[in-house]
Amino acid sequence: MKKVLAVAMTAVMGLSLAACGGSSSSAASSSAASTSAPASSAAASAASGSGETYTVGICQLVTHDALDAATQGFKDALEEALPGQVKFDEQNAANDPNTCNTIVNAFVADDVDLILANATASLQAAAAATEDIPVLGTSVTEYGVALNIPDFNGTVGTNVSGTSDLAPLDQQAAMIQELFPDAQKVGLLYCSAEPNSEYQVNTVAGYLQDAGLEVEMFAFTDSNDASAVTQSACDYADVIYVPTDNTVASNTGIIDGICQPAGVPVVAGEEGICAGCGVATLSISYYDLGVTTGKMAAKILTGEADVSEMPIEYAPNFTKKYNPTIAEALGITIPDDYEPIVTEEEPAA
Amino acid sequence: MANLASFFNALPGAVSQGLIWGIMAIGVYITFKLLDVADLTVDGSFCTGGAACVMLITSGYNVWLAILAAILVGMMAGLATGLLHTACGIPAILAGILTQLGLWSVNLAIMGMKANQSLNVSNHELLVSLRYLQDVSKGERPIWQHPIFVAALFTLVLVVILYWFFGTELGSAIRATGANPNMARAQGINTNFNIVLGLMISNGLVALSGALLAQYQSFADINMGRGSIVIGLAAVIIGEVAFSHIFHNFGLKLAAVSIGSIIYYVVIQAVVSLSEINTNYLKLISALIVAIFLTIPYWKGKYFAKPVKRGGSSHA
Repeated sequence: MKKVLAVAMTAVMGLSLAACGGSSSSAASSSAASTSAPASSAAASAASGSGETYTVGICQLVTHDALDAATQGFKDALEEALPGQVKFDEQNAANDPNTCNTIVNAFVADDVDLILANATASLQAAAAATEDIPVLGTSVTEYGVALNIPDFNGTVGTNVSGTSDLAPLDQQAAMIQELFPDAQKVGLLYCSAEPNSEYQVNTVAGYLQDAGLEVEMFAFTDSNDASAVTQSACDYADVIYVPTDNTVASNTGIIDGICQPAGVPVVAGEEGICAGCGVATLSISYYDLGVTTGKMAAKILTGEADVSEMPIEYAPNFTKKYNPTIAEALGITIPDDYEPIVTEEEPAA
Repeated sequence: MANLASFFNALPGAVSQGLIWGIMAIGVYITFKLLDVADLTVDGSFCTGGAACVMLITSGYNVWLAILAAILVGMMAGLATGLLHTACGIPAILAGILTQLGLWSVNLAIMGMKANQSLNVSNHELLVSLRYLQDVSKGERPIWQHPIFVAALFTLVLVVILYWFFGTELGSAIRATGANPNMARAQGINTNFNIVLGLMISNGLVALSGALLAQYQSFADINMGRGSIVIGLAAVIIGEVAFSHIFHNFGLKLAAVSIGSIIYYVVIQAVVSLSEINTNYLKLISALIVAIFLTIPYWKGKYFAKPVKRGGSSHA
């Protein structure tokens, strides 16, 4: 009896392997077809500029304002460049990095023409899954760190390129000194689960220390200990800096609830966070970042540019912005070259 | 249907992911079914394995050495939970939660205080990678480097080793401890020692699975273990429901857990590939899958059991 079962079991395993063999060969033939497709599409677009349709897979790590705006900007730009020619397959990993694998696996099996990887884990999964399909990242801060490329020179050089959401950190540090010339101690508040935040706070800390300020890091794990860590940051610091941190973005209510009563101003790395708990920020628009990425995608799809030669691009412009409500509450005078953050704003196209 | 074709193309990826998680699920099976302990260390030790593996490989160590180190740190996590439970008298479920909590900081420390460490598949020779799925189908790599083959081989070797081990006197003592601790003590078995040992083996397997997954997806992330206990339990339950009537041998039961994990991932992949469902609902769907597999045997017994005469059950 046991032997029969063992045989049945082996058969099941064998069958599953055979099934995979079959499908991978079909994947091979379809990928062979795809290698010829870009060439022909390039020719077609050169001739008439229409006719070809493309499928673009979008893998977004989590739903929040900044990432949503980047995806929207990407889609809008691509729609404008290739009207009616692009079909989007939009998937969201609900903040589970493992789900990115499943999503990207489906895209690769589907043999999409391009993958947009929104946020770091999506980019890593996409870069691991394929070396043929062009992958564009967005809302990723440092590509060299995200993809483990030593001596990164600005161009990945494989099938990967994209846009970085890095606002110039030296200017952010300068902003802290400009707004709060009397501040002696700066607390850097971030979430220890965020790959990009660590890099940003270290860089900003370096600039501030060079300027002779005292800095200390305050890292929290998740929303459960955010309030305790924020409290100790308030006790320590004259000014608090928060980077473009997704967890901070979800917990601005907690931070504002502690910092405002304590009279400690917060300088934020990004506009969404600043609207929730900050006094001022050097802002990039994620929508504009998505538009930049979408324009890169259009060039790749039409064959105008080769993804391996495209350097990482940055947001087109930066704006100094401030939060009028909190600035007023804390009695801070804001210089004239800062724009107020309008709540319920639509990102400017 | 184009969708159906893409689902079949995506199957190899789903099966390899299922096989890798299946190793973790076998670890969960050891604590949950054999030791009768609900061990929540898993959510932390899974990431510990991945983190240790990625850090060692990027520092230039051999892949096998990295995997071995991952297993060892995983076992140490199990040891911590075991000692908290047996030496400090903390209930098992709490001991697991405490270790899991502490491992968050340990995992960050292993990854150089970073939340995410990347492993560039182009620069290192790995055992399994999403990339190799494509490479094999294009003929750039031999078929034996296909992730399904590698992960299945790992599973097979582990099942054989575990089958042998749980047949030895020591292994039987672990099983006896789980089955009836009082009776086991009466037979002169040191139950505390066996609980600790079982937890160590289990978390070693979990960390091995984490190490393979980190290679497969080319990164270790502080969040990668979050919720993995649910996937482990799902695999154990699906495997049990689907195969308990035909698999009675212990080795086959372990294999059933691995197949349960594959089924789980194939269903998830089907949801992503076939339907228009917003992937934000994926966790809800996972919960539904497990609920369905728990419900089927209950309803089958309650509503569909034929009122047969005694002795009639042998017709099947």
